[in-house]
Amino acid sequence: MAQEGNQRKGEPLLTVKGLKVHFPVYGGILRHKVGTVKAVDGVSFRLNRGETLGVVGESGSGKTTVGRAIINLHKPMYPDVELGGEILFHTESGQVDTNGITRDEMLPLRERIQMIFQDPFSSLNPRLTVQAIIEGPMKVHMNLTAAQRKDRVLDLLDRVGLQRSYAQRYPHEFSGGQRQRVGIARALATNPDLIIADEPVSALDVSIQAQVINLMMELQREFGLTYLFIAHDLSVVYHICDRIAVMYLGNLVEIGTADQVYKSPRHPYSKALLSAVPQPDPRSSNKGRIRLEGDIPTPMAKPSGCGFRTRCPIAKPSCAQDVPELRDVGNGQMVACPFV
Amino acid sequence: MAAVPQEKSLSVLQRRWRKFRTLKRGWYSLVAILVMYALSLLAPLYITNKAWVVKYNGEYTFPALSGFHAATEFGQRTIGEADYRKLKQEFQEADAGNWVLLAPYPYHPNESLMRSLEGRPPHSPSRAHWLGTDNRGRDVLARLVYGFRISLTFAIGVVLLSYTLGIAVGAVLGFFGGKVDILGQRLVEIWSGLPFLYTVIIVSSLLLPSMWTLTAILAAFGWMGIAMYMRGEFYREKSKDYVAAAIAQGDSSRAIMFQQIFPNALTPLISFAPFAVVGAISSLVALDFLGFGLRPPTPSWGEMVNQGLSNIFKWHLVVFPLSALFITLMMVVFIGEAIREAFDPKVFSRLR
Repeated sequence: MAQEGNQRKGEPLLTVKGLKVHFPVYGGILRHKVGTVKAVDGVSFRLNRGETLGVVGESGSGKTTVGRAIINLHKPMYPDVELGGEILFHTESGQVDTNGITRDEMLPLRERIQMIFQDPFSSLNPRLTVQAIIEGPMKVHMNLTAAQRKDRVLDLLDRVGLQRSYAQRYPHEFSGGQRQRVGIARALATNPDLIIADEPVSALDVSIQAQVINLMMELQREFGLTYLFIAHDLSVVYHICDRIAVMYLGNLVEIGTADQVYKSPRHPYSKALLSAVPQPDPRSSNKGRIRLEGDIPTPMAKPSGCGFRTRCPIAKPSCAQDVPELRDVGNGQMVACPFV
Repeated sequence: MAAVPQEKSLSVLQRRWRKFRTLKRGWYSLVAILVMYALSLLAPLYITNKAWVVKYNGEYTFPALSGFHAATEFGQRTIGEADYRKLKQEFQEADAGNWVLLAPYPYHPNESLMRSLEGRPPHSPSRAHWLGTDNRGRDVLARLVYGFRISLTFAIGVVLLSYTLGIAVGAVLGFFGGKVDILGQRLVEIWSGLPFLYTVIIVSSLLLPSMWTLTAILAAFGWMGIAMYMRGEFYREKSKDYVAAAIAQGDSSRAIMFQQIFPNALTPLISFAPFAVVGAISSLVALDFLGFGLRPPTPSWGEMVNQGLSNIFKWHLVVFPLSALFITLMMVVFIGEAIREAFDPKVFSRLR
């Protein structure tokens, strides 16, 4: 199968510029608009072929929304969503802005972008066999006979480490880890370039997490896949990702290589987040731990200026003025804070 | 992974079907209803005043299959269709090698037997007329069997039609949501507000309703409940990740609605179906009882119950139609009860 991805490794695959995803909130008797949830509010990054970009952040930071925006799930599910910015998908014939395009326009690109979902229990249709689930994308995008599809499903089952005889089983007969493997096989069905992995291991036991992560890394080497890996477990992200982006309240606050962000975070939020990673040694001192006060503000009423200023240990009055831009602090590490 | 015994995987519905079959009361009721329905569909072959075989002047005819034969064809001097019961007597008296083989129960449900029976109708049960005759001298057993056929056909028709409508409307409302949903729900509510009985009475006074127009009328007033169930199911299911996965793999809206979501929304449909059948049978009986249903002389249970009321001292006109109605409805309810039980996720069931 395709080695093409490996050969063209490093070329840009996806460029996101100023992505905004706002959900209107309706209320009152007449169901008029009473506010907006700014789930994603101006996110820009670039994703190269063959690399894995980790997106981390706490619950409500908008990381899942970014992933779903890239695969264009919002418009069909919430027609009222307000989208902004550009999601440029680089193809052989140039760039396509996929942000908010219609489902028909998106259809040819769906073959190349697939998704692995967080919850392996709800992401597989309980009424379909594993065979029917995995061949779903093939039926839409690939011109194969039923027998060819069946062969391909069996190959994919091999590839993700499931027995071929499982093809005729139903999802309820599997454990969480096995279901997630089925989800991965479905995502691989059309030989995609990009896989959005939305917390693919968060719902799994720790021992199973390692198996699934290693499987994903093997598959990446084999097929030259590009991953957008959304997670909140920082050690997992550090293990699998080439670069890491940190999100807070709908904005990117820091982006850099995995080593840069994990070993020497610069943004005060990244520092706090990383200091919360549990230490395996119980005797190690807890001195470095940065405790943040309060909770993440609601994305319906974001603070003016820097979204993090309400909890930031180094906040200054000027932080309330403008939303800080990402700036290079050396070696490509970008931080959205003027004071570090 | 432990070695799993090689047993064929069952879909959710297959497992529920297996469980349903273990619930004897419902399962036997289903079998009984199906057998009775099949028998009643074949009733024109064995409950009919047409003879099975007539041998006349060396020629064989099969009126029960071939249909109308004029009386003159067999040498009778009357006008219209041959009277085979009389023909049998005549042939026996003439003893000329001609004979007639009658159907096992040789009476037609709409045939008045006043001329051949002594006394005034309704006649009490006898060896010839097992359940007696009604006030126009028609055989009650024949009418009950043909009435069962009509009731069940009608009920199944109403349920199929109202389900089709309800599923289509509910699926669209639940799946697309938003303004479609709000507007659609209001329209459904307005439609539900129409008084059903008045509408039926008006319609049936304007045009004498046939069975199919009655089916359409009842379905037109019976789909709203199903639509709301479906709307709820689709609303719930569409937020699940497998729908997002279907969108992500490029399925069309129709494929998502009917291949992905619909199989997950079957539970209320299937468990409600027997009760919908009960409702439809009762509605037809009620309409016929009130005289707004099927055109006379159609053998209908409602009309028979009505006869029981107006001849309250003729016990056979009261007991037999009401028992038939009661037993039928009870068996359908048993089926519904067992289906509900089979769909219950709790393993240990109350019925067994």
